[in-house]
Amino acid sequence: MLTTEEMEYLLPEMVLVAGIILAVLVPNLGDSTFRIPLTRTRIPIFIGGTRFKTTSNPRIPARIAILAFFVAFVYSFLEIKTASGEVGGVIEITSFTRMMSFVFYGALLLAAIATTYRMPARPSARAPREKDSELRTEALISALMDNRRQVDFHILLMMVGLGMGLMAMASNLFFMFVAIELASLAAYILVAFHKEEEVGGEAGAKYFIVGSVASATGIYGMSLVYLWSGDLDFDALAASWAAMDGLDPFAVVGVGLMLVAFGFKVSAAPFHLATPDAYAGASSPVAGVLATASKAMGFVALFRVLIEITMPEEGEALWFVLLAIIAVVTMTWGNLAALTSENPKRMLAYSSVAHAGYMLAAIAAVGSGLGDSSTTELVLVAIVFHLTILVLFKLGAFLVLGILETEGRSHRLEDLHGLAQRDPLIAGSMFIFMLALAGVPPLSGFLSKLLMINGIVNISAGTGSTNADAIVPWAETVDPVFWLAMAIVLNSALSLFYYLRIGLVMFFEAPENAKPLRKTLHLRNTILVLTVLTVFFGIGSGAEYLLDLVETAVSAL
Amino acid sequence: MIESDPLTFITLTPLVVGLALLVLPYIAPASMADFTRKIARSFSMGIALAIFAITSALFLGQIGNIDWLDITQGQYVFQNESVILVESIGVRWVVGVDALSFPMVWLTAMLIPVSMLVEWDAKKGHIFHPLILIMEGALIGVFVVLDLFVFYVFWELTLIPMFFLILVWGGDDRRYASMKFFIYTFTASVLMLIGILVMYFNTGDASLAGTLTGHHFDLVSMTAQASGNGLIAGEGLRHFVWILLLIGFATKMPSVPVHTWLPDAHVQAPTAGSMLLAGVMLKMGAYGFLRIAVTIFPESTVVFTPLLILLGMASLVYGAIVCMGQTNLKRMVAYSSVSHMGLIFLGIATMQPLGIAGALFMMFAHGIISPLLFAVAGAFKHHYHTLEIGSMRGIAHHSPWLAGHMMLGWMASLGLPLLAGFVAEIAVMIAFWMTFGWLVILPALTLIITAVYYLTSMQRTIFEGGDPHVGVLPDTMHREEPRDITWHENAGMFVLVALTVLFGILPFIFWDMMSDWSTEFMLETLIHAMNSQGVKP
Repeated sequence: MLTTEEMEYLLPEMVLVAGIILAVLVPNLGDSTFRIPLTRTRIPIFIGGTRFKTTSNPRIPARIAILAFFVAFVYSFLEIKTASGEVGGVIEITSFTRMMSFVFYGALLLAAIATTYRMPARPSARAPREKDSELRTEALISALMDNRRQVDFHILLMMVGLGMGLMAMASNLFFMFVAIELASLAAYILVAFHKEEEVGGEAGAKYFIVGSVASATGIYGMSLVYLWSGDLDFDALAASWAAMDGLDPFAVVGVGLMLVAFGFKVSAAPFHLATPDAYAGASSPVAGVLATASKAMGFVALFRVLIEITMPEEGEALWFVLLAIIAVVTMTWGNLAALTSENPKRMLAYSSVAHAGYMLAAIAAVGSGLGDSSTTELVLVAIVFHLTILVLFKLGAFLVLGILETEGRSHRLEDLHGLAQRDPLIAGSMFIFMLALAGVPPLSGFLSKLLMINGIVNISAGTGSTNADAIVPWAETVDPVFWLAMAIVLNSALSLFYYLRIGLVMFFEAPENAKPLRKTLHLRNTILVLTVLTVFFGIGSGAEYLLDLVETAVSAL
Repeated sequence: MIESDPLTFITLTPLVVGLALLVLPYIAPASMADFTRKIARSFSMGIALAIFAITSALFLGQIGNIDWLDITQGQYVFQNESVILVESIGVRWVVGVDALSFPMVWLTAMLIPVSMLVEWDAKKGHIFHPLILIMEGALIGVFVVLDLFVFYVFWELTLIPMFFLILVWGGDDRRYASMKFFIYTFTASVLMLIGILVMYFNTGDASLAGTLTGHHFDLVSMTAQASGNGLIAGEGLRHFVWILLLIGFATKMPSVPVHTWLPDAHVQAPTAGSMLLAGVMLKMGAYGFLRIAVTIFPESTVVFTPLLILLGMASLVYGAIVCMGQTNLKRMVAYSSVSHMGLIFLGIATMQPLGIAGALFMMFAHGIISPLLFAVAGAFKHHYHTLEIGSMRGIAHHSPWLAGHMMLGWMASLGLPLLAGFVAEIAVMIAFWMTFGWLVILPALTLIITAVYYLTSMQRTIFEGGDPHVGVLPDTMHREEPRDITWHENAGMFVLVALTVLFGILPFIFWDMMSDWSTEFMLETLIHAMNSQGVKP
């Protein structure tokens, strides 16, 4: 049993568990009674029977989820500076874990808010009667399904949150895998949630199959690692790795296979192929979660394996060359594919592949072993900072698509046409999100990209020969890591094309449907808040504050 | 604040006001929103004029009482108390001007109200004029900021309002042009960013350094460090960084072969947009090149002088020759900008105080003349609905004011004495002769080509009408009655004409401080670099 102190460490996760239980119970409260046998006394047991009108309101599960995520989010935020603790030998709470759960819960909170409109909640939903017309019957059924599914959806969403939160805290490889699976399985269902649409079911199935193959590979890798070291604790693994004489095939193959699993999670090429389908089939808020929180989860796993366990004290890490190649391929592939996408969701999916490439390049620069501990920290700060602010503008962009989705349209570029005429503020926000994704200053996307490039340049540019008196001899002596920075920069320029195209069609093309957007008050306000934050964290005190938090977090890694 | 920190004031005010005017109508209650829309245009103009007044007061000494001839190298006036923006990576808000940047600031502050005036009747004026105001803040920011991070932010920030100006108010092909403009200059500037970052991580001043990285973006300190023993160890890397910077700046300027975005952007941009594009945005490239690449890496500049001459000469000659073949008035004017920007590289490549001062004055004079040319071209488009040279003839009869402005602008641009362009050209030519001797014939001959295309285009549009009372009206007029330019166009052009004449007759208003700056720059920085590279000054 957990002690009070341990409960306090795990408060956000406890709140989520409570939220899940509540989300199961509350909508089912009713006036049913239990008759004590052989008597006439009836005791109300409140579960089942005719449901109470107030508690069966379909808005309730969304509210529970929002409340739970909000508490978890705020608590994580408050704890970032001070968190430290250990539970049961497999959970270790540090500033870093709270920073990451801050990111996860933030993204999920936004998704929960956005979903209120994706699945319209009508307390008056009733079953169709026989005399109803065909059209009416269909409408009633879909309303009814939405009502019931409201509960399912938010339970799953909280489950994703729980898995992610626990995953960040894991100090044991096995526990981390279990937590990742908890989050992933719930996420697979969320992707396939709109099963009545063909594309939803297909996306879910695809994502599930590829994901489970990746997980199986990872678990196999983990078992090999266990064979080699006999322990799955991160510290123990790091110690055995450092003490390893030469290369043990079990260890190397095991780590390699685990990288496949995590590569899938961060959608690195060539494991990214299911990503665009999954994003396109999922509802926008879910796709947003996959692109931000789920990706951050993958990177935490990569940090654990690559930086904590297998990074040698000095010299090049084993995976350096491989990761550098994967990074360049990932970013280039993502950007090229995004250029040709006509579906905004697929485009955002590929853009998130490209962003994964940038972050992998930064990790590869750490792996080159050229930097000292301070430059390594700088790069890690850049990555975590990027993952954090990505929630603002990547998820923000998905939420804008989410608004369009309430009209049933968001899968064609044409659906964005003329958005500026229909709602100038939302179109302006989308444009700002796009510029932030492209890394245009002074928006927050610029600072994170700059930090990453800066980290790479910092690590590598000094390696060129100082005796070279012309460019070519210098370029021959500089460490190839330097060209990773060039790759990021050129890719950013490439990506600008499709980001701008979104801006262009919103402001320039005539809308297919000139009606104002559907009223989605919370969603709209959320988007506007995200826009303001995207600008606020771009430069100045906002950025400074966030960087400071991230720095605290990374120094605890 | 105006007295104590005028530069911050003139940078941030337009940004804040412009943004507020853009956003307010959408978030304020309806009555307030209507009111905002109604006053947006006049309010923007008011702010722009106020900033022009402040800038002029800075120059004339009402504020601060500066002796512009008495600024030593590496010293900046109106420098503020630096404010830390992002402490962990060492970003500061530092502003200051010297004789290199101040004329540009004044030019910006002068051009903004003029371009607003010329397009006073723009459609959607409640968005158009605030956008220009945002543009003003971004442009002034580029010239006054002394922190490379913030410099880069402003550098990119100028793209966004211009992108929208072209996209919303541009010609038929505006989508292509705006995308090309944005992508071209963005690509070039991210390459430049890598150069800046390499410089960044070589900085060593611990008092300015960021807590996380241990380096800083402060330009003043970088310059000081560079004049000591070089900012970056290793000549190869230095050259590489210099090339990266050159790519960024030359694309903005633009120089052949990275100039191709310019004609498209210019032709499609609205008149005010092309005026600012040609007048100030191109100068950002030259300014950045002098301020960062040449100042911090003088040795590389000396080593790459042949490259500069090549680029400058190519731009000059190629621009002029392409101009001759143009039938589109705006495209011709755009290519003539490419041609004139070539002179700036040539002026710097002479490594003479006179040449550099000539380049500086070229930046300034071209900043007055080319907006006039674009205003004229815009007026053609506005009133005759075409830009085809030769499709209208003898229009001096219908639009005498337009013809007058055109004539003066064209003459100024081809370098007629007593007009502003001449001073710059002759200075560069003399310096070129002093350094390279008879090679000067090449650029000098190009000036003849310039005269040819300007005179032809003028002759074929405003003169040569056949019947002196009718002329030939373009088909695009559709029997519309030809009219002269509107009062606001006329007023805007008149200001530019007056300034062209003023700086042609009295160039020393700005020339003195420019030549002072270049002499000192030569003595303090370039001479040492040339000695160390074994080049005879």
